[in-house]
Amino acid sequence: MNKRYLLPCLLLFAQPVPACGDDCDARALVRDAIEHWRGLSSYTEMTMVIHRPDWERSMTMRAWTKGQEQSLVRVVEPRKDRGNGTLIDDNNMWTFSPKVNRVIKVPSSMMGQSWMGSDFSNKDIARADDIIDQYEHSVLSRETLDDIVVYEIESVPHEDAAVVWGREVLKIREDHVVLEHAFYDQDGELVKKLESLEIADMGGRTIAKRQRMTKAEQSGEWTEIGVNEVEYEIELKDSLFTLSNLRNPRD
Amino acid sequence: MRMTPVLTRLAWRYLWRNHRRTIIMLSAIAVGSWAMIFMTALTRGMVDQMIADGISVLPGHVQVHDPEFLNDPSVANRITIPDRELAASFDGAEFRAWASRVRVPAVIMSERESRGVTLLGIDPAAEREFSFVSYDEVEGRFLESPDDNGVVIGRKLADKLDTEVGKRIVLMSQDPDNEIADRGFRVVGLFEASMPSFEESFVFIGKTTAQKMLRIGEATTEVVFLGDDYRDVDPTYELVAERVDGGLDVRRWHEIDTYLGTMLKVMDGFVLIWVVVIFLALSFGLVNTLVMAVFERVREIGLMLALGMKPSSILAQILIESMLLLATGLLIGDVLAVLTIQPLQGGIDISAVAEGMEMMGASSVLYPKLYLDDVVLANVVVLILGFLASLSPAWRASRYEPVEAITKVG
Repeated sequence: MNKRYLLPCLLLFAQPVPACGDDCDARALVRDAIEHWRGLSSYTEMTMVIHRPDWERSMTMRAWTKGQEQSLVRVVEPRKDRGNGTLIDDNNMWTFSPKVNRVIKVPSSMMGQSWMGSDFSNKDIARADDIIDQYEHSVLSRETLDDIVVYEIESVPHEDAAVVWGREVLKIREDHVVLEHAFYDQDGELVKKLESLEIADMGGRTIAKRQRMTKAEQSGEWTEIGVNEVEYEIELKDSLFTLSNLRNPRD
Repeated sequence: MRMTPVLTRLAWRYLWRNHRRTIIMLSAIAVGSWAMIFMTALTRGMVDQMIADGISVLPGHVQVHDPEFLNDPSVANRITIPDRELAASFDGAEFRAWASRVRVPAVIMSERESRGVTLLGIDPAAEREFSFVSYDEVEGRFLESPDDNGVVIGRKLADKLDTEVGKRIVLMSQDPDNEIADRGFRVVGLFEASMPSFEESFVFIGKTTAQKMLRIGEATTEVVFLGDDYRDVDPTYELVAERVDGGLDVRRWHEIDTYLGTMLKVMDGFVLIWVVVIFLALSFGLVNTLVMAVFERVREIGLMLALGMKPSSILAQILIESMLLLATGLLIGDVLAVLTIQPLQGGIDISAVAEGMEMMGASSVLYPKLYLDDVVLANVVVLILGFLASLSPAWRASRYEPVEAITKVG
């Protein structure tokens, strides 16, 4: 193709026309939701409550993210867990505990295990992005709730995707807030569900302020993450996401 | 020695003079030797089974690895020689079978569970001879080619993971750079194995699929060879060692699984100890019987000595008595043992205690195994030790003073 024609062609495709149908649409919704939640970079202070029928504990944490690959989470409260941290860099995950004074790379064998004793797995934390590329997405329904359009999206993992779920169903508002993220097994039974309990304007965006992960098969067990403070699109140094910073915080 | 036939006759007659005592002693010896042989056959059977099972999952009587692989079984320590070159270097050597495969520790995950397993990336056609899984008995199907996209797991593992044929699972391991290598697989088959632990710990995928997942190109982690007999793997070992590049580590199976190798050796010692222990119990009865037999006929012995029989002949007669007794007892015991083992050749079901057996690596059906060596060993040991044990009463009998003996009241 001659270069002269290239530009008009590009302009043509740049129109907001769904160029690749339903899947693309749904995929874009999912991607936008994730990017909306995380931003190009972000700083969050949050409280995680782990609830079990006979006990409950809460932890306050600070988290930094940059791009798709890098994030760092550090526990602030309670005092005895202070300094425990998790660093994620390009699908690799490390944890640090000041008590043992060791950085441990989370091996693949532990990716399925619980993160800091919560109902989230290490994999949930480290690889939230997989859902964009490793799944086939389709819009199940569109409804309007309180004047906001809510899309229900079904995401079915590809045959060789490293995902155990049979399908996942997300409810995403048109302003990119995820209302619900449900994980179904391959028999179509609900295994766990992440729900947004409270939505608020924070850090210049509308986000889910309080989210709860519930395991469907164990009643009375859930983990809640509440955002206390959030900032988006902030300047973060690359040195933040390094092993030495995980070990010796310099913030 | 001229006297031997006479002495033997005397001894034999004497044995049956007090037939009740002789029968009791005979039955003791018979039961003892039966126990020796029968128990030996049982344990032999068990150990043989353990070794056979152990070898069946080890598979490959001779194996080639990277020198570091056995210490650190990860793909970082892989064999980079592609199959074509391997095949070329083994051209002309006679093996029952050989194959190269990828064996790495991995994690298998379903919606609800995750477990550590040994991942085997195999070429199903090449491994048919090796595998402890018989392809045709797999529920669903076994892998069909090296680039099969499915996974075959054990039934027990499937139960634990709460998955079944047709569902997807995720396998996770590490690539050579220690990065996570993972991929989803559809379960295409469930296998059953003689030992529950095998069903839980082995997972089969296609070799090419495994190489792709682990990002190791055409590399494998081990090359395995099957010889004709696991007891004698040296010929195969030499064939392989001659042809394999010096940088790689060639080992026989008992050098890889030293537990199994030692087991085989310990077993031989165990049989001897077992026989001796039973004999010790028997020997008290034997010596007691002989001592009684001597005391009972002090006057008779005195008379024989007085008539001119040499003390050595007396000694010989008592020893012959003892040997006859033992030989008859052993004969009965041997026959009994063979008769009882024969109907059990088909296997004894001990699934009631399967869990305990499982812990030491034995399966729940016991096949007694009678080796001629063990029978001969038991008999020879009993005869030799019996001979030694009867020396003392026989010696005493031959040392009597004729006059005192004849006049002894009793």
